[in-house]
Amino acid sequence: MADRVLDVAGVSKRFGALEVLSDISFQVEKGETVCVLGPSGSGKSTLLRCINWLERPDAGQIYLNGAQIGVNGAGLVMSDRELSRIRTRIGMVFQHFALWPHLTVLQNLMEAPVQVQKRPKAEVRDEALALLAKVGLSDKRDAFPAKLSGGQKQRVGIARALAMRPDLLLFDEPTSALDPELVGEVLVVMRELAHEGMTMVVVTHEMGFARDAATRILFLDRGRVLETAMPERFFSSPETERARQFIQRYAGHAANGGR
Amino acid sequence: MIHDFGIVWSERDLLLTGLGNTTILSVLSAVAALLIGFVLTPAWMSKQRWLAGTVRGFVDGMRCVPFLLFAYIVYYGLPSLGIRLDNWTSGLVALTIYNAAYMAEILRGAWTAQPREPIEAGVAFGFSNIALFRRIVLPPLLLAAGPVIGNQMIQIIKDSAFLTIIALPELTHAASSIQSRHYVPFAAFITAVFLYWGLCLVIEAGVSSIDRLAAARR
Amino acid sequence: MSAGDVLAILRGAVVTVTLSLTGILIGLPIGLGLAVLRWADVPVVARIVAVYVSILRATPLVTLLLLLFFALPNIGIAIGPISAAILALVMNTAAFNCEVWRASLMNFPKDQYEAAQSVGMSAGLRFRRIVLPQIARTSLPGLVNEMSLLIKVTPVLAVVGVVDITRAAVRIGAETYDPLPPFLVAVALYAPIVFALVALQRWIERRQLMAEAAA
Repeated sequence: MADRVLDVAGVSKRFGALEVLSDISFQVEKGETVCVLGPSGSGKSTLLRCINWLERPDAGQIYLNGAQIGVNGAGLVMSDRELSRIRTRIGMVFQHFALWPHLTVLQNLMEAPVQVQKRPKAEVRDEALALLAKVGLSDKRDAFPAKLSGGQKQRVGIARALAMRPDLLLFDEPTSALDPELVGEVLVVMRELAHEGMTMVVVTHEMGFARDAATRILFLDRGRVLETAMPERFFSSPETERARQFIQRYAGHAANGGR
Repeated sequence: MIHDFGIVWSERDLLLTGLGNTTILSVLSAVAALLIGFVLTPAWMSKQRWLAGTVRGFVDGMRCVPFLLFAYIVYYGLPSLGIRLDNWTSGLVALTIYNAAYMAEILRGAWTAQPREPIEAGVAFGFSNIALFRRIVLPPLLLAAGPVIGNQMIQIIKDSAFLTIIALPELTHAASSIQSRHYVPFAAFITAVFLYWGLCLVIEAGVSSIDRLAAARR
Repeated sequence: MSAGDVLAILRGAVVTVTLSLTGILIGLPIGLGLAVLRWADVPVVARIVAVYVSILRATPLVTLLLLLFFALPNIGIAIGPISAAILALVMNTAAFNCEVWRASLMNFPKDQYEAAQSVGMSAGLRFRRIVLPQIARTSLPGLVNEMSLLIKVTPVLAVVGVVDITRAAVRIGAETYDPLPPFLVAVALYAPIVFALVALQRWIERRQLMAEAAA
């Protein structure tokens, strides 16, 4: 229980008349890589964004390392300040990279650790440079994001999230906006992170990655968790019809083992 | 305070006349400025360097001169050259010439943003000259430029207030007159402000409908 | 027209430039504040700001100035011509600036803001470090445009007796019965200032367009 990083219980969310998430519950232990799969419109991204309260759940509770997110000790909705404090423990990688264009790559990495976590600049700088080396972009440290390719931007995005030393990393379709040739370089970084024991929740369409790197698959359909299983079991013998259809449609991708 | 507004209400004829004059002045000069703009813009884009240069000089010149100063020049300065205009004519002339430059700039911007193919298609289908202009060129141009022209109209209404300095009986002049005779400055001018606001909202409503027409065709 | 007359107009130019700068410098941050109030959708206040901006943008500066100059003393606030002029200029330009800033804020890419939220930046940090540097850049052409417009409405100060370029020129014209020369001198003073600002705005727009194209 001390190793449970994320606990999602009964989360629901509606946009107007549309119920996007219905009573979602799952847990993530430390070191796990959970891949959230499902057809478009199944609510995967919304679920991810509810975890760090970028979207506010209408019902349910979310706990990070045992502490509730979004509702404070007094039972009231958390203020922006309280939420900010929790968000420093959760890293997020965005589909369209969301790098800050007026800062260089290195500055993007250093900005939050220095300004938010108030860590000493020299220490942050060393760590940022190490992270850039890890994602293979040391030579781009003084470049502005506009000059980078999509794959490079996303690797910077991952490094930026890691610079905060988070307990949990959330990936919102990290390769969906990339040209096919650039997807591989990002997946390599993600695979390595999973291998090193980073706790990750990944929303993705990359079946190959899900098959190889995930410790667990969460299959979402129309706002509900239909199945949760280890990858080999999920891909070889899915329990529900919807999952079966989904895997078949992506069979081509899965058969190629992703990229 | 209520008493003050009562006084303003009793002078409503004067205010309404002022409002009417503002409206007539603004509409007349806007239309005239737009028409002149339609002549200036092609001249601006002509291959004849001297013609294009002259128009460009005129447009840049009007953009650099304050309108109030220009109105003074037309009313007080022209008589030195033998041209004596009364305050109505001066006001109308100043407002028209000044805004013709802005209309030309607006039309030129809208024109360069228009796609060429539909016009080429018009020519290919046998449209020429007047018909081409009226049926193929003009409608999309006006739809695109509508909001910007609407903004310019609001600017014209506001510029018309400057003409109070040459004793033209527009809205601000009427409010001033009521103020100086009855000592009700707040009531008089606030009423004028709300009347100007009303005019502006009417124009914005007009622009919205043009925008809706344009959006349906995008 | 004598040299003394030209000097008088030049002195008027000092007044024009000083009051314009004052109006611009005060109006810029107030405009930003108004825009942020609307963007953050502060209850009640945001609506009040919207109505204020709408009215101010529809009100001729002359009318506003006369209102302030005559009405404020009437309700007990003593105000001189210069203060009334500055107040009118600031109220006017702040409303227009607000719309320029607001356009930049509304076009600000949402995902960058979310990225700032996701790393735990407080609202203040988000605005100061991420939003402001960028909207300052995108708002620049519109703000410079508004500055040139402000200079072009300063002759309105003449209406309440402030001796700016225009009033100096009018006075000399009335004294010498030869109004055209001082008016032309006045034009020669206004034109370069406005032209410089317009040229600056075009240059900024061109540079930003090139920067975007290169990216």
